[in-house]
Amino acid sequence: MGTGVSASLALRIMALALALVFVQIGVISEVPVFGVTIDVSPLLVAFVGLLCGSMAGAITGFAVGLLVDLMLVQTLGVTSLLFTVIGYWAGRLRELRDPQAAIAPLLVGAGAAAAALVGYSVIEFLLGVDAPVSLDLLRQIVLGIVVDTVLALPMWLLVRRALDPGLPDDPRRRRRRAYTTGGLSPLSRS
Amino acid sequence: MYDKTVRRRRAVLVALVALSLILLTAYFREAPSGGLHSLQRGFLTVVSPIQDGANKALKPVRDLFGWFGDTLHAKSQRDELRKQVDRLQRQLIAKQSNERSYQELLKLFKLDNQISASSYSAVTGTVIFKSPNLWYSTVIVDVGSAHGVRINDPVVNGEGLVGKVTQVASDSARVSLITDSEVGVSAMVNSSGVTGIVQPKVGDPNDLLLQWLPANSTVNPGDYVVTSGTVASEGESLFPPGIPIGQVSSTEENSAFEAVNVHPLANLHNLDVVQVLTAASGSRAARLGNALAQLPAGARTGSGVAGEGAVASTGSGG
Repeated sequence: MGTGVSASLALRIMALALALVFVQIGVISEVPVFGVTIDVSPLLVAFVGLLCGSMAGAITGFAVGLLVDLMLVQTLGVTSLLFTVIGYWAGRLRELRDPQAAIAPLLVGAGAAAAALVGYSVIEFLLGVDAPVSLDLLRQIVLGIVVDTVLALPMWLLVRRALDPGLPDDPRRRRRRAYTTGGLSPLSRS
Repeated sequence: MYDKTVRRRRAVLVALVALSLILLTAYFREAPSGGLHSLQRGFLTVVSPIQDGANKALKPVRDLFGWFGDTLHAKSQRDELRKQVDRLQRQLIAKQSNERSYQELLKLFKLDNQISASSYSAVTGTVIFKSPNLWYSTVIVDVGSAHGVRINDPVVNGEGLVGKVTQVASDSARVSLITDSEVGVSAMVNSSGVTGIVQPKVGDPNDLLLQWLPANSTVNPGDYVVTSGTVASEGESLFPPGIPIGQVSSTEENSAFEAVNVHPLANLHNLDVVQVLTAASGSRAARLGNALAQLPAGARTGSGVAGEGAVASTGSGG
């Protein structure tokens, strides 16, 4: 694939993206929480970037965005543009900082949701949407970010579990596993 | 080797962003009959059977989530509805005698061929997908041009006006809800008859604004807002008159004109079955819609004030 992603991982990403996009627009969109519609697709793209790197994140973002725009008969290119940037940004975060803290998925999820919601608003205004804007818009954006942040951890666990078998072995993960294995633990030597 | 990786990564990003921008620009500039729109309709035709199947498979999950929400609000809704039924029964008795007199007067003055929702035939469809985006209040329904659905057809459910058809494929159609930023509806306050335009309140998907009401109009919270049967601006649908849209929730001052907040009667968050009102070809409603579509844009565009720009009306007699 040229992105450091194996064929099996690419297939896993495709299957996960298709399933999540269908569930998103078929079920999750119908269930408002605190008056806002939950959108997990930016979380999916960000977490693919965080697990697989910037190129995989950007390509997944473009493909998921295009699929969403095609299926919902929206302006083509808007969601692709935003999700490409979100996937790339999350991937670069992994490549430059490699965040290991447990809170990292929450922060990445919040960042992805914020980028998607603010990005949509900016693009729609640039395209000349003819509607009054009120403080309610800010409230909806903030609520959307909060709800997506709450959902970030379960989404992270889901995406990681789905992609884990296809991910290249991480030396740090191997080291951690070694310490928890009976024979190699320093405690067992005494 | 490192440089090559960096160059390739950047090239992919630039290519994808450029492709997105090209798509966006081309789609935004082209006519609805253009290539990208046709591609999108073709894609919708291909995936709509899959969407339909997925929708049926996922319905129990959606119903389960809906059940939790409904249960939480059931008791307060029941009490409120009981009061409403009592009030409406009293109103119904008073209105029935008025209705009889009204029909007799219409016949007397030969005005009884007005177009109303009953002049249209209803095509029932199921909502198969809903946009999660704050900026696109749209749903996809499983009926399309093969069922007689056309662009701009009004869409209703048992509670009131839902939206209008904005894209049609053979077996599916996109419906822009009345809370979508693209939709504006010429409307009338049912009790006083003052007219305005209902537009969405961006950022608040549960509320609408009835704008451009004449200053000092008498509008009270609780008044019902219905379609007026007129068209005040370009691209607006010719909704038949009298379809309930919402109920006035509060009023706010807006310089020379008044604006009031309207709460939609239709529960747009939980749409399942909707009806697309299609006018039979050759009928008066269809002829009026076609005539409106053929008018030059300037002739259709009003000043933004309801009534002033209205050039087509479903309420006129002849």
